[in-house]
Amino acid sequence: MEVFFTQLTNGLAVGGIYALIALGYTMVYGVLKLINFAHGDLFTIGAYLGLSLLTSLALTDHVGAAAGIVILAVMVMGLVGVIGILLDRAAYKPLRTSPRLSAVVSALGASIVFSNTVMLVYGPNPRVYPQGILPTQVFEVFGLSVPVMRFVILAASVILMIGLYVFIQRTKIGTAIRAAAIDQDAARLMGINVDRVIMLVFFIGPALGGAAGVMVGLYYGQIKFTMGWIYGLKAFTAAILGGIGNIPGAMVGGLLLGVIESLGAAYISMAWKDAIAFFVLILILIARPTGLLGERVAEKV
Amino acid sequence: MKKLLFLVVAAGFIAAGPPAAAQETIKIGLMCPLTGSWAAEGQDMKQIVQLLAGQVNNRGGLLGKNVDIVIGDDGGDPRTAALAAQRLATRDVSAVIGTYGSSITEASQNIYASAGIVQIANGSTAVRLTEKDLPYFFRTCPRDDEQARVAVKTLMENNYEQIAILHDNTTYAKGLADETKKLLDDKKAEVVFFNALTPGEQDYTTILTKLKSVNPDMVFFTGYYPEAAMLLRQKRDMGWDAPFIGGDANNNPDLVKIAGKEAAAGFRFLSPPVPQDLPSEQARDFLSSYREKYGSAPGSIWAVLAGDAFRVIVKAIEETGSTDTDKLADYLHNDLEAFPGLTGPIAFNEKGDRVGDVYRVYKVNAEGSFVLQE
Repeated sequence: MEVFFTQLTNGLAVGGIYALIALGYTMVYGVLKLINFAHGDLFTIGAYLGLSLLTSLALTDHVGAAAGIVILAVMVMGLVGVIGILLDRAAYKPLRTSPRLSAVVSALGASIVFSNTVMLVYGPNPRVYPQGILPTQVFEVFGLSVPVMRFVILAASVILMIGLYVFIQRTKIGTAIRAAAIDQDAARLMGINVDRVIMLVFFIGPALGGAAGVMVGLYYGQIKFTMGWIYGLKAFTAAILGGIGNIPGAMVGGLLLGVIESLGAAYISMAWKDAIAFFVLILILIARPTGLLGERVAEKV
Repeated sequence: MKKLLFLVVAAGFIAAGPPAAAQETIKIGLMCPLTGSWAAEGQDMKQIVQLLAGQVNNRGGLLGKNVDIVIGDDGGDPRTAALAAQRLATRDVSAVIGTYGSSITEASQNIYASAGIVQIANGSTAVRLTEKDLPYFFRTCPRDDEQARVAVKTLMENNYEQIAILHDNTTYAKGLADETKKLLDDKKAEVVFFNALTPGEQDYTTILTKLKSVNPDMVFFTGYYPEAAMLLRQKRDMGWDAPFIGGDANNNPDLVKIAGKEAAAGFRFLSPPVPQDLPSEQARDFLSSYREKYGSAPGSIWAVLAGDAFRVIVKAIEETGSTDTDKLADYLHNDLEAFPGLTGPIAFNEKGDRVGDVYRVYKVNAEGSFVLQE
């Protein structure tokens, strides 16, 4: 039983990161019906920018670890958000009226450009975040020993997700985003600046991906220019699992995918971990084609 | 009409151009992972082979001709490697060096074999690569069953009884894991865990939790250093102190950087000696000229083995006075004896495997350096 709960916390920690990245996929899909395949690489860029800022500014030395990390995360989110807007301008905006497939191909191209740019700038070797910034205490709860950072990561993910949810549901700008997601033309007729909304979506989604990148860098220590691919794929799966285009769905999908992977690896077969996760995805899509919390039928891309 | 005449003349020049140029140089192919997750190894391979080729050219070349290195990027990926091999095979190369990963080399083997080109792999240790009766395939690295033999010897010397084996499902890591398990069968130790992780991930706590629950005396990880480093780091975070031993793909200084000194200390791995520990005079000369040109020592032994592959090819071309594939292969199989390589004496058996004992045991000390164990 102890092993079971340890595996559950392992899964939740990984799932929290999947969920955070999945939010970026889901927001862009919700508004534009576009799968932004470059999203995983924006996550990678976030991790690398975090490393550069952390080592060059030495923030944690000046203002303490907690405040330093928060400031770092905000800076990275801002920068990656701006890169997201530029990505939209360069790769997606010119194709707004083209067939959907063109934008998907453009997204794949952007993904390759990003990951190779990171390789050229930072080199092909894995890079390492400085150590000793995060507390390494182990938390004793119900007889389980769980590193305290696992809770912090999960909590940070959940706070960011709830913040986003409240922003979308309760604010005027959030309402505009939802309106643009339902019908862009009608939203335009209601006086909503749809281009502004899309820009905002391309700021928030990548910013959250960037935050996830910083978290992965700080917690796991090692970052690679190829890591966006595998995280992106898992997060994409999580978004589909929860119902793409749906923000609580991305949260649920991410956490669930993390737990399925972890328990599947622990109790069924380790080597078949990914296969089990995708098998569950297929089962869920057969039962609920729109994903767990999906409302609209996902259109084929 | 004038224009047409010009075109015909131009076409004639173009047609005549390449063969004339080809006669002036001896082309040697290098297939290495310049991109992808093993790009660091590939960059080192390229730098080493180019440095050695430059030295040969400064000495007056090979059979009076300049050596030209033709590089193909295999991307650390079997499909990319097949394309790179096809391109190199059409570029009139006398022999090909490479590559690093076993599955990558395997994808290219038949392409070079059917094109009749000598291939000398530098980092591909999977057993089956030389069990296919390919007459033109050689390797400067030892093979996995050799490593497995040394691994089992080390495990037995330490009296471990409950052994966990973890691999990553790549041709290389699984080969080493299978071979070790087979050799452990008739020993008194018991294999209590045998499974694979997915390489390229960041979080291995699920696997570590599962490993810990079977309570092994020792974990033998046959995969590559990025994963080993993450395992060591997360193992320490869990507060678990079982000893880990790694295979030779852990022989990279980045292991300590990623895992951190504290988590890496005490980790042991099997490997041919690291570049700095190479004993021979050739190796010392080579390392100092490498440092002079590129500012640091090469990261791993595998890239240096690419240098040895190059030197062996040069030697064979010099001795046979030809670039004919059959003559070169025959020389390498039968006549090359104790050639003074950078990594020790080199000779090949009839399968194309390197002959001789190269593996050592290393341990990471508290400062994070790799210390040769005797």
